[in-house]
Amino acid sequence: MITVGRYNLRWQTLLTIVVLTLLCLIWVYPFLWMVSASLKTQSEVFSSGLNLIPQDPQWHNYQRAWVDAQFSRYMINTVLITVGTVILTIVSTSLAGYVLGRYRFIGRRPIMAILAGTIFIPAGYTIIPTVDLANKLGLLNSLWGVILVLAGTGNVIHILLFSAYFSSLPKELEEAAVLDGAGFLTVFFRVMLPLSGPVIATVTILKFLGSWNNFFVPLVFTFSRPDLRTLSVGMFAFVGENETDWTGMAAAATISLIPVIIIFFVMQRRFVEGIAGAVKQ
Amino acid sequence: MKLSRRDFLKLSGIAAATTASGGLASFMPVMAQDEIVMQWWDHFLPLQPLTESVFAAYKEANPNVSVEYSVFSPPDLGQALQLAYPNDQAPDVHALAGINVPIAALQGEGWFAPLGPHVSEEWKNSLPESIFIEGRTTFGGELYSFPIFSFRWHEALTWFDKQILEEAGYDPEVGPRTWDEFRDAAQKITANGGGTVFGWTQGIGHIDRMGATLTRLAHLAGSSGEFDWSTGEYAYGSDAFVNALEFLVSMERDGSLFPTGITIDTRNARSRWATGSGGLFMDGPWNPGVLQGNFPEFLEVVGVSQAPVPDLDTPAYTYSSPKSGDFWISAQSDYPEHAAAILQEFTSESYQIALAERMDQPPLDLDTVAKANVHPTYSKSMDLFRDIVRLAPDPLVKNPAVSEVLSRMNDIRPNLGEIVQGAIAGEVSDIAGTLQAYSDQLSAERERAISEAQAEGFEVSQDDWVFSNWDPAADYTSDMYDA
Amino acid sequence: MTVLSSQNRGAPASLAPSTILNKVWRDRWIYLFLVPTIILFGLFTLYPMIASFLLSFQDWNGFSREASYVGLANYQEVIADPQFWMAFANTILFMVITVPIRVTLALILALVLNNPKLPFAGFFRTALFLPVVTTMAIVGVVMTFVFDPVGGPVNQVLMDTNLISAPINFLGRSNTALPTAMGIHVWKWFGVTLIYWLAALQTVPEELYEAARVDGASVYRTFRHITVPLLVPFGIIIVLITAIDTLRVFDLILTLTGGGPFLKTEVVEVYIYRWAFNSSIPRLGYASAAAVFFGLTTMFMAILQGLGYALVRRMRGTS
Repeated sequence: MITVGRYNLRWQTLLTIVVLTLLCLIWVYPFLWMVSASLKTQSEVFSSGLNLIPQDPQWHNYQRAWVDAQFSRYMINTVLITVGTVILTIVSTSLAGYVLGRYRFIGRRPIMAILAGTIFIPAGYTIIPTVDLANKLGLLNSLWGVILVLAGTGNVIHILLFSAYFSSLPKELEEAAVLDGAGFLTVFFRVMLPLSGPVIATVTILKFLGSWNNFFVPLVFTFSRPDLRTLSVGMFAFVGENETDWTGMAAAATISLIPVIIIFFVMQRRFVEGIAGAVKQ
Repeated sequence: MKLSRRDFLKLSGIAAATTASGGLASFMPVMAQDEIVMQWWDHFLPLQPLTESVFAAYKEANPNVSVEYSVFSPPDLGQALQLAYPNDQAPDVHALAGINVPIAALQGEGWFAPLGPHVSEEWKNSLPESIFIEGRTTFGGELYSFPIFSFRWHEALTWFDKQILEEAGYDPEVGPRTWDEFRDAAQKITANGGGTVFGWTQGIGHIDRMGATLTRLAHLAGSSGEFDWSTGEYAYGSDAFVNALEFLVSMERDGSLFPTGITIDTRNARSRWATGSGGLFMDGPWNPGVLQGNFPEFLEVVGVSQAPVPDLDTPAYTYSSPKSGDFWISAQSDYPEHAAAILQEFTSESYQIALAERMDQPPLDLDTVAKANVHPTYSKSMDLFRDIVRLAPDPLVKNPAVSEVLSRMNDIRPNLGEIVQGAIAGEVSDIAGTLQAYSDQLSAERERAISEAQAEGFEVSQDDWVFSNWDPAADYTSDMYDA
Repeated sequence: MTVLSSQNRGAPASLAPSTILNKVWRDRWIYLFLVPTIILFGLFTLYPMIASFLLSFQDWNGFSREASYVGLANYQEVIADPQFWMAFANTILFMVITVPIRVTLALILALVLNNPKLPFAGFFRTALFLPVVTTMAIVGVVMTFVFDPVGGPVNQVLMDTNLISAPINFLGRSNTALPTAMGIHVWKWFGVTLIYWLAALQTVPEELYEAARVDGASVYRTFRHITVPLLVPFGIIIVLITAIDTLRVFDLILTLTGGGPFLKTEVVEVYIYRWAFNSSIPRLGYASAAAVFFGLTTMFMAILQGLGYALVRRMRGTS
């Protein structure tokens, strides 16, 4: 046993940590490169190749992204859109996943078939009818429109995840609750939903990432309201016909990724809680 | 009285609550305002500060008019327009990029509003006669748009680090003039380069650009370009194209091509070229403009020379089609008069000089460059363009119904640029055969489109691609269409 | 994918024969729970897909007001286009190779990172997830340096260890470009599969592990007999969504190779995109037909696989 801080480590664990650290270095390298590029000059980005240390940190790249490219404004829009989308998605997919995963009812099979069927069709080009519909519903040029569309697309895998998770929870959980006189809603909100932390975390992370980075929907939905644009839409300001502002783009990307990383770091804790502890309570 | 949505909200008291908090207000669809806010989309990133200064000046004179300006990358601009127009979200003024549909076809769909009614005769008369081209800038004789750039440029200038070229034994004032010299210089530079500097850096992965570059080289090798104007046939299978492509491929086989260049685009290739991969680099007149912004130290050592030709004895020219307008007023705009007023600024001498100083595409009149403060390579580029760039005939101008054919033609893939990349990457063994097959497929597709258009009553035929009075050494001016 | 280990019914099966309406009324909460999904999914996923499906029988360039009905002509043209089949083959190849690697590698790391006694697990998870969030355009530039034939680290290592005698232009040659793109794909998106597995592992109660350890069961036996059976329903879904994920490699391919050289790395999504948005005359009907045809084909293959899997399980069960 080797003692490191509060951990007593067996040599296997130590070896695991060493291997993981090496692996993670490869894994995070391009991210670090991006952060470093955000502090370099344009010519240094290319002349220094894979070198990570900027000669003379160019903090004004951040000013260019935050002020000139209006990323401060885009940040607020993106947060509003993403939070709205994630909440709406969690509510709708957990409800649907619960009943599809734990109950058999008339219409369940066709619903599952339709859901599963749609995930195979490449969806990139469906933006045209989507915009057409949103225009008719009067949803263009508002953040609500963006939220509704983002919350209404790409959710089948989330529903399947919830459904698989809920169906794997032991039956005794709700039987005990039903004996105590709990109804359908109480069982779901008091017993089932609190146990689904890991899936909520997964869906939150993926949906957060998806709506944070979505380009097309916020672009198209803010044509007449550039002030409602999001971070990912703002990125196009760095790419021109004959040049790319790589340092500005790297700074903008770094700014826009920090919230995503924080969300991930916070949410990933849910992955160690498991249902075991919850069952004991 | 009809109750508008806004009135309704006011009545119900929601409006007060929503406007009180800025956050909530942004959730509401846009409402009518007394302030005029115009949307302006283009893809001229290097001109952004200049364009913004025009808007600022206009706002100073008209305090209630402001312009929301969005600069897109060309493909994004095309897609944005494609999605905006059918949904009544088109900007008031926009450039056209990333959309290859003939402008006449877009006009046919009712995209554009005319400029003519909102401008003075005096201003119209100040424009050079040559820009009034039916189907390009005017429709039914009415002026819709005008170019701010000249047609007289090409993207195959040879750019180099002067010292590196000198060490390879070439005079940087003259540059490598012929294909043989270009190839030889590239080999010597590679040999001197110690494994890191290469003789030829190019963004071969930039498909559209490579197609255009090959066409320029073929022009200079004696081809009239995409079409043989004496027969109207596609000419990609001609010796000029085959030889030009073999010239490019030979440099890869020599080991002169910067290897990473095969997949990257011109923007990345330029960055690598400016930061060490060295050698020769084919690019347009905007190169010093981009270098000045991003690699100012490197610009100091850069020289430029004419695109290489197969031999020096035959006079060589390259051909550009007549320019379309650069900015268009949308028919969906509520403020065409303001749009027109702003657009008129773009032809003023002070704007054109400032435009030249951005060192992007050349200004409408190349002579303006002489009055501007630009890098010597930029003014030298203008001389190089005057020497060899000529105005090509345009079937669309000869017969506007040609646009009915073009908008019925489907792409043939792999296209010219993809063939260039494929040949250089070693995927195309039979260069002549592949180019001929591409040419044949295009001919068949055009024939299909012509008969389809004819069946719908349009009077158009392959004869519209024939220009028997074309002179390879001269501009094909508007009066020559009638001859 | 609908393995329901603890299937509930809305009510006891022995109930007196009731009409459909009665059953629906009895399960009203179930239907109410589906309402948000039906509205959102119906409006913004299903409707656009149906609209696109109808578009696949039309010839429409996206900017004209009128589209013309062409029947199955778009489908015939898609099926006759060798470029489509090349993109199709690349897509399937991409899936068949990257899915097993992503799923297995992610499972192994998820098992390691699921150990509550492992220090810094949160940092490791975050580090492995970072490529997922790193902007693709930037990844593209980094990769041109990483795989640079001139002094790039990958070529350097291969040369130093004498595995190759001349540098390889990984992204510039058709025989290496696709495998390189696959490798980068696994690297970039592996983190997503990892969190699926981490979520799935939370369904395995800690007590089961404790019990197994008391029994002196080996790590492998614990995994084989306790973890695996509990993970199967999740595993199937993870394989499925990872497979679906590999159909969405549009950004990656466009950034790394642009589908080149000579279209040799083009995948179906890029093919569709080119016809819908990036050709001289956009052909939205044709692009829709390619998408629908591809979607139906992959769905058909998935169903066949599902049937095969069920068959194997049944045979095992009877033997």
